[in-house]
Amino acid sequence: MDLPGSIHDFLIVFMGSGLILGSLGVVLFTSPIFCAFSLGLVLIYISLFYILANSHFVAFAQLLIYVGAINILVIDSVMFMNDLEYDKIFHRWTVGDGITSLVCTSLFVSLTIIILIASWYGINWTTKLNQILEQDLINTSQRIGIHLSTNFFLSVELISIILLVALIGATAVARQ
Amino acid sequence: MILEYVLVLSAFLFSIGIFGLVTSRNLVRALMCLELLLNAVNLNFVTFSDFFDSRQLKGNIFSIFVIAIAAAEAAIGPAIVSSIYRNRKSTRINQSNLLNK
Repeated sequence: MDLPGSIHDFLIVFMGSGLILGSLGVVLFTSPIFCAFSLGLVLIYISLFYILANSHFVAFAQLLIYVGAINILVIDSVMFMNDLEYDKIFHRWTVGDGITSLVCTSLFVSLTIIILIASWYGINWTTKLNQILEQDLINTSQRIGIHLSTNFFLSVELISIILLVALIGATAVARQ
Repeated sequence: MILEYVLVLSAFLFSIGIFGLVTSRNLVRALMCLELLLNAVNLNFVTFSDFFDSRQLKGNIFSIFVIAIAAAEAAIGPAIVSSIYRNRKSTRINQSNLLNK
């Protein structure tokens, strides 16, 4: 999106804090329906991130597929679970939880150090010129469509076959 | 500076997803954390594609494929959950003989 720089940055920081809270909610809540709704919130925030990053097609695919289909599937499978009495909001942590949190924190710290050290703008990103006329007049979604139908055509066909096989297999497993 | 912020955010989502996946006591929460993992990776791809690859958008296209694979996995996951629940009447994943008849 072509927003002014400060509004762009403010929105990214604001949605980043929403993402952090939502993902902590997915992991730490006891009741699974709270987890499912936190996951829905995280997915919607990520879709807004994609809109800010000029990727409108991926944003709407994320909204339709993730929020519309996958989150509904997750909520449906939440309803399979037993009705336990949830008297606490957060779990009590065991020793395994503590060790895993240490490992994941160290992973996150090492990734952050790598991200902050690397000089991203100094890498030579060479992209060769492709033979599409009027390259500067096409917007992002049209460019994605052109690439999907010319360069990545085989991948699209394979993905469609994979999806078909997966969905038929899922209904075969879920039947009696 | 915004690029590093978004990359650190996706690294945070990734590590939170791994933590939730390893410490989850039932299968549905593990599926939800798996979706978190895939979304963190997607965010990374789309950010790089926006900042460095405005011509060819390879990151965007790969993230579309990742979304499609996540949809297939999110269809199979609840099917397995339902068959486990039908056999065992619970969704704990501590045991390894869950799909036994």
